[in-house]
Amino acid sequence: MNRRTSGQPAVRSALGALVLTLGGCAWDTPMTTLIARSDFGREILHVYSIIAWATAGIALVVFGVLAWVLARFRATPGAPLPAQTRGHTLLEIAWTIAPALVLLVISVPTLHVIFRTQAAPPAQALEVTVLGRQWWWEFRYPTLNIATANELHLPAGRPAALRLEGPDVIHSFWVPQLGGKRDVVPGRSNQLTFTPQVPGEYWGQCAEFCGVSHANMRMRVIVDAPDAFERWAAAQRVTPAPPTGLAAQGKAIFASGACVACHTIRGVSAGVLGPDLTTFGSRRTLAAGMFPNTPERVAEWVKNPGGLKPGVKMPALGLTDDQARAVAAYLASLK
Amino acid sequence: MSWLTTVDHKRIGVLYGVTAFAFFLLGGLEALVIRLQLAGPGQHVVSAEMYNALFTMHGTTMVFLAIMPLNALFFNYMVPLLIGARDVAFPRLNALSYWIFLFGGLFLNASFLAGTPPDVGWFGFAHLTAPGMTLMRMPVFVWMTLVVQFLIVLAFPPITVGLIFLLFDRFFGTHFYDVAAGGDLHLWQHLFWIFGHPEVYILILPAFGIVSEVLPTFARKPLFGAPVVIYSGVLIGFFGFGVWSHHMFAAGMGPIADAAFSIATMLIAIPTGVKIFNWLATLWGGAIRTTTALHFAVGLVGLFTIGGLSGIMHASPPVDLQQTDSYFVVAHLHYVLIGGSLFGLFAGAYYWWPKITGRLLDERLGKLQFWVLFAGFNTAFFPQHYLGAIGMPRRIYTYAAGAGWTFWNAVSTLGAFGIALGVLLFMVNAWRSLRAGAPAPADPWDGRTLEWRTSSPPPPHDFDTIPPVSGRDTFWREKYGRRAGGGGPGAAPSRDHIHLPAPSHWPVLVGLGMAVMAVGALTHLATVLVGALVTVVGVFRFALEHHRNPAHEHQVGSLDLDHRKVAMWVFLGSECFFFGTLIATYLAYKGKSVVGPEPHQILNIPLTTVSTFDLLMSSLLMVLALAAVQRGDRREARLWLFGTAFFGLIFLGFQAYEFTHFVGEGLTLQQNLFGSTFFVLTGFHGAHVTVGVVWLLSLWLLDLRGNLGVTDAMKVEVAGLYWHFVDVVWIVIFTLVYLIP
Repeated sequence: MNRRTSGQPAVRSALGALVLTLGGCAWDTPMTTLIARSDFGREILHVYSIIAWATAGIALVVFGVLAWVLARFRATPGAPLPAQTRGHTLLEIAWTIAPALVLLVISVPTLHVIFRTQAAPPAQALEVTVLGRQWWWEFRYPTLNIATANELHLPAGRPAALRLEGPDVIHSFWVPQLGGKRDVVPGRSNQLTFTPQVPGEYWGQCAEFCGVSHANMRMRVIVDAPDAFERWAAAQRVTPAPPTGLAAQGKAIFASGACVACHTIRGVSAGVLGPDLTTFGSRRTLAAGMFPNTPERVAEWVKNPGGLKPGVKMPALGLTDDQARAVAAYLASLK
Repeated sequence: MSWLTTVDHKRIGVLYGVTAFAFFLLGGLEALVIRLQLAGPGQHVVSAEMYNALFTMHGTTMVFLAIMPLNALFFNYMVPLLIGARDVAFPRLNALSYWIFLFGGLFLNASFLAGTPPDVGWFGFAHLTAPGMTLMRMPVFVWMTLVVQFLIVLAFPPITVGLIFLLFDRFFGTHFYDVAAGGDLHLWQHLFWIFGHPEVYILILPAFGIVSEVLPTFARKPLFGAPVVIYSGVLIGFFGFGVWSHHMFAAGMGPIADAAFSIATMLIAIPTGVKIFNWLATLWGGAIRTTTALHFAVGLVGLFTIGGLSGIMHASPPVDLQQTDSYFVVAHLHYVLIGGSLFGLFAGAYYWWPKITGRLLDERLGKLQFWVLFAGFNTAFFPQHYLGAIGMPRRIYTYAAGAGWTFWNAVSTLGAFGIALGVLLFMVNAWRSLRAGAPAPADPWDGRTLEWRTSSPPPPHDFDTIPPVSGRDTFWREKYGRRAGGGGPGAAPSRDHIHLPAPSHWPVLVGLGMAVMAVGALTHLATVLVGALVTVVGVFRFALEHHRNPAHEHQVGSLDLDHRKVAMWVFLGSECFFFGTLIATYLAYKGKSVVGPEPHQILNIPLTTVSTFDLLMSSLLMVLALAAVQRGDRREARLWLFGTAFFGLIFLGFQAYEFTHFVGEGLTLQQNLFGSTFFVLTGFHGAHVTVGVVWLLSLWLLDLRGNLGVTDAMKVEVAGLYWHFVDVVWIVIFTLVYLIP
């Protein structure tokens, strides 16, 4: 699950080649649907395995018969015409009923899981409002009075009740290891409830085409142990301390520039069009999961966001290299 | 030049085939660029914007400009031959369909923007069928064609309405998809998929039909359980209308809708499975000749089975929540559309090529092509199941190296080039055959159906004598007699009078006029007017071209109904779906407007009651007019025809007054959802009344000039059907919009 961040290139490519030859099965696949880390995910995987076995069985029968027929009934020169059989009523009835029975086996657990996974969230669930925006995610915790972007923290073992809303176009919230996707539809309020069970970092991504940078609308869900989650939530509510040195210069540029029109930093600005940056320095990624959150990348980003992310709504503000470095230092200080 | 004015179903079929194959190559090139971009993480083969345009155009091109018209190639070319006919029922309309398809396709690609898919139209039922060709004796391919035509006629109106809403939102400021005004984005999804799912069967059922012809021929056995295969196809088409929402399990429709659409979707698996079992049983016990056509047909049975089984997975909403909009779905739909439709089309191509061109294809090269295509296809698309399972969403132009999707994407790209090589081999084979292929005899495969009874290629009039039909596989029965289980040939063939429809240049001109209008809509109003002029004049000349031509008087098909009447009923069926969608939208949005005025504040019920009464009375006059024409009373015919049109004009006057009054009261198209839905619904009804008035006045003018006699009663009857339908629609609108609060 953790991304490889270091290591000698030669060793890594050799390892990569080894993995390639092994067929890719041992690969790190952070968005796999085949490993479930929530109750919702497990329910789905359960139905999936039933259907997978059933369909594999049908495939085996069809391919088996097809292979046998093709091998056995070849035309031979001089042989008489084959019997001109036109049909067989009992057979027709039999192969109408057989698939119906298979479908019965599939549909019962299907219906069961549909209703169980779409029940109203329990009272103790943690409420989160998820806003899908072109092309980033906003997460608001109404009961905790905090807001964050592109990194959703959830406590393990406690149901999370996500309310999905969006101001622009249709998106779809999908974190495969935590369960299935649910669309974010402007004008509607969709619900997604699940209980994350294993602490860790999970990858997610928008799954409904939503414009130019649909491919770059990614997110991380960090499932914390309950006490770690409490610490994280408390840290989010702290107003950042005044920065010093280069970061202080950066703050001045931020506060006097166009940045404040779109971004909130508690105690500094109150823009709402872009992500809340109050604790930006504590985030792992930049630009909705596109890049690791390093000062170099951030400096590059604030200078020319459109060059890194096609179609991004944030304009290039004409910062010099020095100004960009200062802003990056300031943002890194926000923890 | 004669190709421009041709109305010969065979030539139109060839035009469809050649054009569609060109679009197929274009869509294929788009796919190769897509695969190159995805071959590794963070590639820059094309920009994000270009990639998004490419996948949109790839899908639109393949569905509307390649597979549908490639199916149309075989519908056009083969159906009349398969039922022993001389041409289709509406040869000029058939030609018009082609020209609209061609211009629409060129227009779409010229703009390189995804927009309104061109409606490839419908092709009419074949006529002059051979004696004895009853419905249950029709070959399965013809049956599947029939089912597909119904699907096209009924499934396109909802998407048409959906696109009209979009057009009005863009150009006239209505609020159909405007969330701020109370609109619902699910509306578009529903309208799209009510069309979109039947569209899948529009694409696949013809391939099922082709396989049902190819397997029996090369197994030298009849199709096993033919009636069951036919009924299964009909059931698939029927169920296809009730499952659209399975594309929306992630949309948040709620558990009850999810459950209902899940069950309905699973039910489709039963007739589909039945078809596959019957195909296997057809091969069982046969004397199989492993020709290229058989390779492709068997390939379809195997590959479509995979696509069908992954479809069953999506039918389960919980599983679908992980699979929808992922590469698993991309794999699934390509197994259905390539493994199913395209392999079926190639089976048909190898099977019927000798009949169409009069030359044989190289069988060795054909089999090589099959294996290259088969291997390339599975290499390209089987890994995509796994890519979806490890979380790769569809429609992304790039992905992170850390996502673990690199290896299988590279493999998939390699496979895509295998597919391209396979298509290239087909082109080589086709070129060599056309240039120096061995001449094909009339019946190269020892076929079972009527097309093999005529020369290769067939003469312009298809059959020298209309062949008699003694049962299913009638040609086989004729060749093998009682041994084949049949009763030998039926009635003795008789040399009959051969009449062929004359060429016409109006179809291509009307198509051109419509294309000019479409170009004008995006550029200049004057261009629209020029296009409209050409279209209107063309339509009138088209309609009157064969007026009173004795060769066109008798148009009765195997159902003992006049073709024009059947066509009008089918058209009205599609109109039901059109108005049904408009009315359903009005009702769904009732009370959802965020600002006034509300219906009860503004609708004038007494006044509308009068205009409704006027329209009802016009129906009565229409009945009188038809009766007068039928008994040859020209004076009364003229009186009642004009009276009907006049009452129609009065209704339009009421409507004009009502609209003006509403606008004065502040209700416009742009005011609120009520204004948008009300004006679009009643406006389209008014447009239908206007068309009816013009139609009736045209008949009246014909009558004034002494050109409308008893023999033309059918023309008045068809106009009357339309007029009564429009009146009935108004009664529904009046009840639902005006009377129910």
